[in-house]
Amino acid sequence: MELFGIFFAAFLINNILLIRFIALCSFFGVSTKIDTSIGMSLAVIFVMTISSAVSWMIYNFLLTPFHLEFLRTATFILTIAALVQLEELYMKKMVPGLYRAMGIYLPLITTNCAILAVAFLAIDYRYSFVQAMVYSLGVSFGYSLAIVLFAYIRERMALAPIPKWFQGYPIAFITAALMSLAFLGFTGMFGL
Amino acid sequence: MILTAIIVLGLMGFIFAGLLGYAAGYFKIEEDPRIAQALALLPGTNCGACGSAGCRNFAERLIKGEVPVTGCVSGGPDVAAALAKFMGVEALQGLCKMTAAVHCGASESQRRKKANYSGVRTCAAADLVDSGGLRCGYGCLGYGDCFLVCPFDAIRMKDGLPVIDHNKCTACGKCVAACPRQIISLIPCDLGVLVACSSHDTGANTRKNCPVGCIACKICEREAPNVFKVVDNLAVMDYSKTDIDCSAAIEKCPTKCIVINKS
Repeated sequence: MELFGIFFAAFLINNILLIRFIALCSFFGVSTKIDTSIGMSLAVIFVMTISSAVSWMIYNFLLTPFHLEFLRTATFILTIAALVQLEELYMKKMVPGLYRAMGIYLPLITTNCAILAVAFLAIDYRYSFVQAMVYSLGVSFGYSLAIVLFAYIRERMALAPIPKWFQGYPIAFITAALMSLAFLGFTGMFGL
Repeated sequence: MILTAIIVLGLMGFIFAGLLGYAAGYFKIEEDPRIAQALALLPGTNCGACGSAGCRNFAERLIKGEVPVTGCVSGGPDVAAALAKFMGVEALQGLCKMTAAVHCGASESQRRKKANYSGVRTCAAADLVDSGGLRCGYGCLGYGDCFLVCPFDAIRMKDGLPVIDHNKCTACGKCVAACPRQIISLIPCDLGVLVACSSHDTGANTRKNCPVGCIACKICEREAPNVFKVVDNLAVMDYSKTDIDCSAAIEKCPTKCIVINKS
């Protein structure tokens, strides 16, 4: 039940895109088509889970014993960058189908703030390893939900007669704001 | 404290570097160097007109022999010649650059309307709603779906009709697919003449609907019998006959729907 709570808090109530406003660059950048948003979502789920696992271990087994907690920003960036490179090399050779499906989004995610944020937040909340895993899964599914929904809306908006001064990003931001309002409705669900 | 920080971070850097270096060797994929060379010869626009998923995919299939050297549509004869030289095969003779042509000549003011269309302003949407208010069920709707889809900026809209810039057009076929009424086709670039109408209505009905439509009078068939043929109430031109003079047919066409193909 506790893990369930962590998952839903990350998935809906504290949705990383619509409530926390992290990783907005990719939210607007790759949400013009449903296909690209799904590719990005898959890559985020994949990278976020693995990188938060590795950074949790590095923080708790390497930085804490040496009292080097202040180095976590530098180490996490280093770890995530190296990890994504490694994953890319591995997937290119072993699972080329998945590699092609994720395409350019895999290396792009290295610089996605959500990945780093989840590594930090899992530590700030003092989660155990299992809790941190469930948390990062919840966040990445929440990211996928928000970006795919947003892509659906933007595909419809591309056909709609929008006033000239709202076309493009202005209407996208307004839409994101309304979605954010809608997600606020989840607050208090399950007593969280 | 500073020393441990330096050692820990330095060690981590070395471990990751070693791991990546090792992995790069371990997961190395042997790639045919000819793919990169063939890719360099291609236009790199990834238009997809050849049927492959982008230029890279085309290059891979070219090396495997699945596609011919003339397969690149947007590259035209120049790229075909370069690829033929690279692959060591004879370049095919008589390869002609293609270009898009619009088979409708009715400008915005010439189109007769039966209703005002006020829906979504795209051709795809207007075509769904009873011909977008136009009397002619075959002609150009004028909302510029072809103009929007063209990746080479070769189409501009003039008086509600797309005008194609033959110098920019690479015959990728995106506008052909985008037009809900199929009035755009690819014809040989060096061809000077085309039938600017797609209406299969009977002559009398076409006359009612449009001042510049083909009324299937068969005068062109008489003037240039080998080139034109009226099929299903529409003059159809044989685009392989480029050398026959058909100026008489252009001259005599009563509705002037056989036009000089200008860019």
